[in-house]
Amino acid sequence: MSYAVVVGVTVTIYCLLTLGLNVIAGYAGQPHLGQAAFFGLGAYVAAILATRYGLPFWLDLPAALVLTGLVGVLLGAISLRLREDFLAITTIGLNFVMVAIFQYVPFFGGAMGITDVPLPSLGSYTFDNSAFLVVGLLMVCAVALFSAYLERTWFGAVLAAIKDDEVAAAAIGISVPVYKIAAFALGTATAGAAGSLYAHFMSVVTPASFSFSESVVLLSMLVFGGLGTIRGALLGAVVLGVMPEVFRFVSDYRMLLYGVLLLLMVRFQPAGLLGEGSWLHALLRRRRLERGGLGRAAA
Amino acid sequence: MLLANLVEGMTIGSLYALMALGLSLVYGILRVLDIANAGAYTLGAYVGVLTWRLTSSWWLALLAGAAVASGLGWLLQRHLYVPILASGPIVPLIASIGVFTALEEAYRLLFGPYILKLPARIPLPTVRIAGTVVSGVQLLVLMVAVAAFAGIALLLDRTRTGLAWRATAQDRETAEAMGIDVGAVTGRIFLLGYALAAAAGVLVAIHYNAVSPTMGDMPAYKMLAIIVLGGLGSPFGTVAASLLIGLVETFVAAYVGFLLPRDAIAFAALILILLLRPQGLFARGVAAR
Amino acid sequence: MSRLNRETRRALAAAAVLLIATFAAACGGGGKPASNAQGNNAGSQGSQAPIKIGFFAPESGFAAADGQSAQDAAKLAVDEINRSGGIQGRPVRLVDYDDGSDAKQAVAIANKLINLDHVTAVVSGSYSDQTLAAAPIFQRNHVPMIAAYAVNPGIPNTGSYIFQQSFTGTVEGRAGAVLAVSQLGGKKIAVVAIDNDFGHSLVEGFTQEAKQLGASIVATDYNQFGEKEFTPIIQRDLAKGADLFYLVEYGPEGSQFIREWNALGVKKPLVGTEGVDSTTEFLQVVGKQADGMVITTNLDRDSQNPEVQRFVKDFTARFGHPPDMVAASTYDAFFVLAHAMRSTGLSPEEIQKGLASIRDFDAITGKILRYTSNREVVKPVQLQVVKNGEFHHYGIVDDPALIQP
Repeated sequence: MSYAVVVGVTVTIYCLLTLGLNVIAGYAGQPHLGQAAFFGLGAYVAAILATRYGLPFWLDLPAALVLTGLVGVLLGAISLRLREDFLAITTIGLNFVMVAIFQYVPFFGGAMGITDVPLPSLGSYTFDNSAFLVVGLLMVCAVALFSAYLERTWFGAVLAAIKDDEVAAAAIGISVPVYKIAAFALGTATAGAAGSLYAHFMSVVTPASFSFSESVVLLSMLVFGGLGTIRGALLGAVVLGVMPEVFRFVSDYRMLLYGVLLLLMVRFQPAGLLGEGSWLHALLRRRRLERGGLGRAAA
Repeated sequence: MLLANLVEGMTIGSLYALMALGLSLVYGILRVLDIANAGAYTLGAYVGVLTWRLTSSWWLALLAGAAVASGLGWLLQRHLYVPILASGPIVPLIASIGVFTALEEAYRLLFGPYILKLPARIPLPTVRIAGTVVSGVQLLVLMVAVAAFAGIALLLDRTRTGLAWRATAQDRETAEAMGIDVGAVTGRIFLLGYALAAAAGVLVAIHYNAVSPTMGDMPAYKMLAIIVLGGLGSPFGTVAASLLIGLVETFVAAYVGFLLPRDAIAFAALILILLLRPQGLFARGVAAR
Repeated sequence: MSRLNRETRRALAAAAVLLIATFAAACGGGGKPASNAQGNNAGSQGSQAPIKIGFFAPESGFAAADGQSAQDAAKLAVDEINRSGGIQGRPVRLVDYDDGSDAKQAVAIANKLINLDHVTAVVSGSYSDQTLAAAPIFQRNHVPMIAAYAVNPGIPNTGSYIFQQSFTGTVEGRAGAVLAVSQLGGKKIAVVAIDNDFGHSLVEGFTQEAKQLGASIVATDYNQFGEKEFTPIIQRDLAKGADLFYLVEYGPEGSQFIREWNALGVKKPLVGTEGVDSTTEFLQVVGKQADGMVITTNLDRDSQNPEVQRFVKDFTARFGHPPDMVAASTYDAFFVLAHAMRSTGLSPEEIQKGLASIRDFDAITGKILRYTSNREVVKPVQLQVVKNGEFHHYGIVDDPALIQP
């Protein structure tokens, strides 16, 4: 069972990362291909605080969250000057630069990485894998509920307007910069929190784990599930997150399968598996409406 | 030594330009960041190796690689990118990542994980100028690159396809309304763009005498940086940016050393330049949107 | 408002159900060996139940060439152990997983090997990132693991059950310095190295020892994976008066270095490392161009040990190309493990004791003198020279002061 739990923890980390990415790429419509850099930053901050300064998980988590969010503000500020594809490639660049910093600056452990990140504890109880899963799920729930709340606030509406037409949004008096930067801050801070969980769970942090290809995986998950929706972010993280494990029985062909599945998915369901207007979502919605209708009729 | 570095930098820059030019054309017409273009680069190299093994002819290898890859390009635009174009820029990007992943894995499964060789003999002499050696392969790279640039310049300037490309790159909908067969133009550009990438792949395979399934990893993202630097969708900016990057990398390596990872330097410079000039270094009307 | 709330709640509930369902699938769906009820009951001497040895390697992804080598060697080793009657009369079964060069997958694999496959011990045929991530899990669960060729010093530091089979980077670097300075007479040395833990730890050992022996380092450059352009560096270092080059690269990068080295017509001594100890990735690519290069490695092709010759012959016959350092190290890891199991027993504690107390074990990759208290191997470093496009014996560094990690 522990194996499934471990895969589960990995998936909850993916869920946190895609939910964060969803605020930036989904709600605000900003292409962000550097989420893994922020994930890594959170992991490194937590690992350094825990191993060198003896901070417990409960304190390095918020520290990682805040610090990563601050760097996210910086990226948000940069994004103001750049449109769409230029921004996408800047975020790719940011990912490469950040990994190079992890690898070169001795403070971050250099090429050797940081080892022996301690297991978190609560009183006298030291974390095992199930505890990680529980904490991970709680964090996912918190972020998902917060995202749902965002969707219904003025903030969410403004992001949607910016995504739709930035010029028009600015024309009706919306302060586009503030909202864009806030979206980047929230989305990257979530990645920072996920990084802290990751560092303690893995107990080892090395630069290669936060490469650009990891960012690609995260954006793929989000698009696969349904860009701009909470359910899509979660589903994409779950399905693509467990895929490498589930498909172990086809051993040599599993990454081929992964690529083919991804391209078929976006080809025939470009809105994602559960995005607005996807086949599955329409089906679920229809069934719900039918059931709702029946319920009313009975009453 | 200055001259030697210049030649070296120009060779690398020309290779980058061949790789990036196809991507730039494709970007101009569809505004898709097409990672799968790097898959065509590797495909060209593998087809090149197979052809060379059968025929021992470097130019047949070059032609065969380009032909097979352009077929892939045509299929991709027709059956993958154009149908999902309406879903915004991120969705086609993810599709191309899926294609790229699947292609790389297919190469590994078909040809094995080990390096294959392409030791083709190029019938060009090794030239010595002022103590600097320019190998036959380097000459070939420079010649193919120049031919490709000249060909594309003529194509864009003098032919109907070129005119249609420029119109479509500027505004797809208006071009369509003006009666341009956008679908046909897109198809032709993909044939060309993928053939260029594959030609670059074959030349790289000959130059370095090495082909491996993951050889497309570096071009996959680095060419994106180059076409951005050149001002997205501007072929001439792309060539200029490629040569610039090739030269800068060589001279930094020669006078400073591998200070940071090569790509991190390129990207750090890119971010700085974009902050100063958000439209890219060499942007012209086409790219600035 | 309340409708939206309900929708969100439903979405969350659906996601939770899906999460659980997929875990169940992940749990039940994977795994090659289906029967794992017996576990590692070490006491049942007479039983014919196979002894399971876990194994993981980067069989896909950018390191797939090394992963393939490691996997091939693991299969060969297990087959040979079984042909010679297994261990304590029981056959050995290999439980093999691909980690895709991803640390997260290595963690999942480690848990799978322990909890679902119930392996008795584990060999890592992977790079440092994955081995480092998996090691703490084996340590916590008291499953002995041998890292076949990963060099990160953090690996054996994980704890008492984790052993390192290849020499530490520092030792190999020191041996390289002895070769470069004392034997080849290098005075002003240029260093070109891959930018990862392998490159950094070797360069550190090399630089320290070379300076102690009186040489100076004119330049040190680290490059990333996939680097192809070394000409500017070579020319610059030559201009700085370098009289010897120390090259810490893997096959793909090393072969490009050699190509340019020859194109430039450089006639200086060149010292390499086990990173280029590969036929498929290096020698086959450069052919005779690398002739004269001397490398520090662990496999002596001209060894008088008949076992080495038999291994090289069997491997080549089965897989179509000669074995490399990765293959030899992986192969050895299995025999070291088998030796420990035969001599002390099959419980984790017994295997651990068996490994810790190994003395003068004749392995394919040279005589393993012992493991240190920190579980790093102590064995001589082999020097191989490239002649006619093949590796051949050049010398050996076995000074106890140098090979002690």
